[in-house]
Amino acid sequence: MRYSARLLEHFLHPRNAGLMRDPDGTGEDEFEGCGDLARIFIRVREGRAVEVRFQSYGCGPTIAAASAASELIGGRVVEELVSLKADEVERALDGLPDDRKHAAEVVAGAVRAAALDALRRRAA
Amino acid sequence: MSRRVYLDHNASTPVHPEVLAEMLPYFGEVFGNPSSVHGFGREARDAVDASRDRVAGFLGARPDEIVFTSGGTESDNFGVKGLAWAAGRGHVITSKIEHHAVLRTCQALEAQGFAVTYLPVDGYGMIDPDDVRRAVRPDTIAISLMHANSEVGTIQPARAIGVIAREHGVPFHVDAVQTFGKIEIDVDAFNIDLLSFSGHKIYGPKGVAGLYVRKGTRMVSVQHGGEHERRRRAGTENVPGIVGLGKAVEIRRRDMKEEATRLTALRDRLWDGVRARVPDVRLNGHPTERVPGTANIAYKHVESESIVLGLDLKGIAVSAGSACTAGSVEPSYVLVAMGVPIEWAMGAVRSSLGRSTTAEDIDYVIESVEPIVRKLRAAMPVGAA
Repeated sequence: MRYSARLLEHFLHPRNAGLMRDPDGTGEDEFEGCGDLARIFIRVREGRAVEVRFQSYGCGPTIAAASAASELIGGRVVEELVSLKADEVERALDGLPDDRKHAAEVVAGAVRAAALDALRRRAA
Repeated sequence: MSRRVYLDHNASTPVHPEVLAEMLPYFGEVFGNPSSVHGFGREARDAVDASRDRVAGFLGARPDEIVFTSGGTESDNFGVKGLAWAAGRGHVITSKIEHHAVLRTCQALEAQGFAVTYLPVDGYGMIDPDDVRRAVRPDTIAISLMHANSEVGTIQPARAIGVIAREHGVPFHVDAVQTFGKIEIDVDAFNIDLLSFSGHKIYGPKGVAGLYVRKGTRMVSVQHGGEHERRRRAGTENVPGIVGLGKAVEIRRRDMKEEATRLTALRDRLWDGVRARVPDVRLNGHPTERVPGTANIAYKHVESESIVLGLDLKGIAVSAGSACTAGSVEPSYVLVAMGVPIEWAMGAVRSSLGRSTTAEDIDYVIESVEPIVRKLRAAMPVGAA
């Protein structure tokens, strides 16, 4: 199997999948040319992402990456999430094959966008 | 993982035990080169000739019209380039849904100055014989069309196209890799001049295949060297492989009809079971004019690779209709040519059944796919894809 046990576990049992009502921040990213898409919703309390939900479309690794990221960012300071790197998402999956690195990138992009959206709303 | 279900027989099949048993002596005891004049060589030559007789008999051909090759791709290259290069220049008719072995060969011929018409197909993946008739030009030198498509299994009206080819005096090459040994085909009844077939799709070994070449067809070789295969295909014959192919053909001759009936019922059981449990599914390919064991089912708004992965984790082997590699997604060109909308084409999964497939296997697949698709859809943004 070319995918890690952790990735497969997330794929089989995705955490926090689905829509969130009235989120404090929403972000989306699409991998150009591939169509893989991730959407992240966060609820923010005292500057931290206390609740995370995701929706994703794509190959198995993208679904697993979104699930892993939803756990990874739970409780984290929103200002930090604005600069979340794909590497960190990939590490949460115990690595990705070279031709599936985009799974972590698209999910990290959606997290950054959601964090930025939450900060903008707070400032408004 | 307890249960394993292999539903990818259009990709490859396991070697039949009877085939393996027949091949084994040719790796050891009977090892001569069929071109050698001594006894060791003659034994090998006899085995190759016996296999040639079996294949020829199965196709309604003469033994000297069978050329053994290394695979379906070589057979297709030999067939299409052999006709084109013999003519020197001219026009080739093929279709948009051919295997890459034909499509890319035709593209290579275009780069060499040949003209190529790529015929469209209808929503079932079927070529209209009238399109073939209309495409024929005075300089048409070859018609190369597949007998059935590997992805959707739609069987082409080869008999009707053969009549048109014969009327116009244009050589007709049929890529029958996906139908040889699965449904009836007779080179004379179908007016076929060249026919590609392969061993590993019919429980023979990999690395052996062949091309039927009707006597009198103007062809040139594409591989040069020794005098093998009546100077049509140079290279020492793959004796164990050819013996295995011959045995596989003999078994198909015996089992083909019965198995076709059984696999058609199982294929329909799969589709009926899936559509009863999973909403938003469609069958790609012709409902009846289809290779017995093939069912291409599309799941709307789900990416096929994630279904393949989900089923793989349940021990089930199927294949994806789209491939996402290195950041570029490729919906199947076959489904695109059929006009299948992108949101369906992206979620196409092919199951191809074979001699080991049982009704219990099919029921297990039906049970397994429903929760996988449900979960994937639950994580999916509405309106995505």
